[in-house]
Amino acid sequence: MAHPSTPDTSKHNMKIACFLVSFALSCLLCTVPACSSKKDRIYHKSRMLMNTIVTITVVTSSERAAENAIEDAFHTIGEIEKQADFYSPESEITSINKSAGVSDLKVSPGILSLISQALFVSEKTEGAFDITTGPLTLLYNFHTKQKPENGALTKTLPLVNYRNVVINKNASTVYLRKPGMMIDPGGISKGYAADRATDELKQQGISSGIVAIAGDIRVFGLKPDGRPWKIGIRNSRATGTEDDIMATIELTDAAVSTSGDYERFFISDGIRYHHILSPMTGRPASMCRSVTVIAPEGFLADSFSTGIFILGPEKGLRILKTFGYGGVIVDNQGKVHITPDLRGKIEFQRNP
Amino acid sequence: MNFREILKFTTVADRVLFSILILLSLLGLIFVRSLIPGGNSVEIDVDGNLEYVLPLDEEKTVSVQGPQGTTLIEIRNHRVRVVESPCQNRLCIQQGWVEHGVITCLPNKVLLTVGKNRKMGSEPDAVTE
Repeated sequence: MAHPSTPDTSKHNMKIACFLVSFALSCLLCTVPACSSKKDRIYHKSRMLMNTIVTITVVTSSERAAENAIEDAFHTIGEIEKQADFYSPESEITSINKSAGVSDLKVSPGILSLISQALFVSEKTEGAFDITTGPLTLLYNFHTKQKPENGALTKTLPLVNYRNVVINKNASTVYLRKPGMMIDPGGISKGYAADRATDELKQQGISSGIVAIAGDIRVFGLKPDGRPWKIGIRNSRATGTEDDIMATIELTDAAVSTSGDYERFFISDGIRYHHILSPMTGRPASMCRSVTVIAPEGFLADSFSTGIFILGPEKGLRILKTFGYGGVIVDNQGKVHITPDLRGKIEFQRNP
Repeated sequence: MNFREILKFTTVADRVLFSILILLSLLGLIFVRSLIPGGNSVEIDVDGNLEYVLPLDEEKTVSVQGPQGTTLIEIRNHRVRVVESPCQNRLCIQQGWVEHGVITCLPNKVLLTVGKNRKMGSEPDAVTE
């Protein structure tokens, strides 16, 4: 090191000055990129719609663009809720149900599309997914622990059959053949709404985001860091927040839904009565604890997860393979079955 | 070489220049910090309308009026919980203290979003359930 009294002093001073200037400039420059570039950011917002929490996440560089797109997507979901709410006296679904056995009813293109999609899935799941389970739905109350007597089930089951739903696409009408029949679109409407909300976001110029209507999720595009979206799958027997995620999977441009026996349920005489009712028996399906389906569209993931929950793991895996959908099935013993395409892609956090 | 020795080698102009650069750096840091979301607030929505955005670092008890009555919310130690609710199932109260995520009371249409801008890391971006 040079001493101040040596002839090298001025050179040395210059070195120190250069070092200090460089240091100060580095400090300054570190702050510049964050200030100057308009980077894509993740924005999300939650709202109560469809009797649950809806969270919409978008990636954009503009907060205003994010807010506008999210509001429009919420509006789209709200409109579907108005049309498809099984319990609302003003909904189109209620009007169709009131006309059961009497006359056909002209419906909006959205409701016609929703019912057509539901009937398609009913056929592909051997009737395990059936939107005509409305009369069965009304026999249960999961808050008051109300369950039907055998007599009531025997009387109600003949009203449940998707083949008795007649749609006329040209006239845009729907007709339920038997009086007392009721469509309950609860097993498909959230996935369908996630699809329409995603369409809305894309129309607004959003190229990446998530629409999560409770557990019915549609993802598109990539995160700002270029990675796919990471989706957690709920542990069907979670005891708290520590073990509430069973597994995670990274997805883009896909839909994922889970049907589980833990959402709305009560236990009576050691039997778990939950909301996924078999159209064949009228009782809660008992072969699975949870079924997660990954499909290209929300309506498919939502309805197939319900249908496969009712059919059980063996038939369920066969159907998933036929359509090329991914799936994670936790059977009634807690054993996990996954479709081959997900092996190596799904990361298990713990045993379910 | 200590700081005093370094100062000996600098002129007044050098010192002014360093001071300006360091000041600009600090101002830049403060400016950037204000742009980065902190994720340390709770948003309280009632029936789809945002009623409060409250910091999590201030202890506070706040009541909001939903369609079924009053929901009492407590903020303490960077966490939030529902203390009282008019709903029947009381699921919102059973959720207890929450550091991030949501607490929801569907019957009284109250939604608490905690740490909404939390950093995305190893946690999932969404959960299917």
